[in-house]
Amino acid sequence: MSDPIASALWLSLRVSLLATALDALIGVPLAYLLARRRFWGRQALDVLVMLPLVLPPTVTGYYLIVLLGRRGWLGGPLYGLTGWSLPFTWYAAVVAAAVMALPLLVRPARAAIESVNPDLERAAFVLGRSEWRTALEVTLPLARRGIVAGLVLAFARALGEFGATLMLAGNIPGRTTTVPLAIYTAVSTGETEEARVLVLVLTTLSCAVIVLASRLGSRL
Amino acid sequence: MIEVALRKALPGFTLDVAWAAGDEVVTLFGPSGAGKSLTLQCLAGLAHPDAGRVVVNGRVFDDSAAEVHLPPQARHLGYVFQGYALFPHLTVAENVAFGLRDRPPVERRRRTADVLGQLGIGDLAGRHPRELSGGQQQRVALGRAIAPDPAVLLLDEPLSALDAPLRRQLREELRALVVGLRRTVVLVTHDLAEAYQLGDRLVLYERGRVVQAGPKAEVLGRPASETVARLIGLRNVVRGVVVKTTSDRIEIVWRGHTVEAVNSPTAPFQAPPGTSVAFVVRPEHVRLIRKDRIGPDPVHHMNLLPGTVVETIDHGTSWTLLFRIDAPGSPSQGAYDLEIEIPQLVYEILDVGRDRQWRVSMHRGALQVLPGV
Repeated sequence: MSDPIASALWLSLRVSLLATALDALIGVPLAYLLARRRFWGRQALDVLVMLPLVLPPTVTGYYLIVLLGRRGWLGGPLYGLTGWSLPFTWYAAVVAAAVMALPLLVRPARAAIESVNPDLERAAFVLGRSEWRTALEVTLPLARRGIVAGLVLAFARALGEFGATLMLAGNIPGRTTTVPLAIYTAVSTGETEEARVLVLVLTTLSCAVIVLASRLGSRL
Repeated sequence: MIEVALRKALPGFTLDVAWAAGDEVVTLFGPSGAGKSLTLQCLAGLAHPDAGRVVVNGRVFDDSAAEVHLPPQARHLGYVFQGYALFPHLTVAENVAFGLRDRPPVERRRRTADVLGQLGIGDLAGRHPRELSGGQQQRVALGRAIAPDPAVLLLDEPLSALDAPLRRQLREELRALVVGLRRTVVLVTHDLAEAYQLGDRLVLYERGRVVQAGPKAEVLGRPASETVARLIGLRNVVRGVVVKTTSDRIEIVWRGHTVEAVNSPTAPFQAPPGTSVAFVVRPEHVRLIRKDRIGPDPVHHMNLLPGTVVETIDHGTSWTLLFRIDAPGSPSQGAYDLEIEIPQLVYEILDVGRDRQWRVSMHRGALQVLPGV
């Protein structure tokens, strides 16, 4: 295996795992809030989280640049303070993948939380548990199938992310060239052998993820 | 001890109730949607009343005037949910121990074992709720609720998910258990038999209000109104018009006949002639007059009414006769005026199956006039 292939693979794995971890941290509480709480702006939050599912990835990428770019709403002040900016680093690939994959976690996780009988939570309250403890001891364990299914989907989505990553992280070999970007580059420069290897590897990996997901699903 | 006053407005429904009970079993009885379960949720702090006051053993749970509303976690109540709400991912022992988290592990294990033993489900400790029968689940739910030794136990339709034979058996067990607690137990049911058998005190709910409350015998023996009489399932609740009231008698015209009832010596009924009034005749207090007895008997032939048996219903050891009084106009209860309950033996001796024309008599003491509307 030549060096660019190995580096693209290693980068893709790191990016996808980190993006999935980030989504777990943000997405599970978000799914809980959307499922169980009524608050101002809930509908707007719901739309915002789901938007990457329907927008062209380049549009999502564009918004991410507006938000996080060197002159962006958040990225600008950050650059002013630290002299560091996110775009064209491998962290940018992580952020892009996380944003794109988030709805795939939130949707099944939220549905699973909503399907937990609210009387179980009430029973936990009456037996002295706070809402926080109840979520940890009752709601989330009972919603675990949906959450794990969502995490697997999110990982798969992150692995295949292309458009938003290209917009925010660029295509810098060895730094931000993930497998899908490497395939695109290989095909467009006529490196058919490299493209074929990467396509096969990505397909195999995706199949493995699907098998893993169904194994986990039936064991939980 | 519990004192309850609650007001809560929902779209199309308003709960507005007040009642109190000591260390006894108080049954909230009424039709579905009368506000019984909502009351329990307010007591447990799971729903917020718009206004009201709840005091348990001197502790103020809710006082809207002082803006006190304790969260459910601070109330230390036992709550058996309709459908039980057992934690499906935990074992029986873990379910029962769920409310004992702040106790030391040794004590937690001991208390869990005690409760499981008391309920006769010690051998199920390691099972999960889905592996249990309905009756076993009911016991686990009860165990989980009483394990932390709550000041008040709330039971929401605790037996309604079970089959009839099991329900009867568990009713006995439940009665023994809740009486043994010597605590205030609030039981919600729409099952009359459950209310009769389990409660010491009855609170009758209808459309968000309490229509009568008191010791069980008092409520069942002296229903305060026609609504209550119908609610507690009394048969033969009918209406007539007062013709005369004295201190010890009330004369009522009913279906063209004048009947006489006893007036209550403690709470005499005083309505002017012409007033429409509801009264109850217990089906087992109506007698058929034997045709071979000739000559009037003033004691046994009181309130004589001629009529026809229009239908007979066999209950095995007794019969229900649906009786229509010979009078113009439509009968009081659809196709008939009175339900009459007679033992199987009487049915055979009198040959009611063949002979349908009868005179019936009702002792004046068997006619209970219902005050109010």
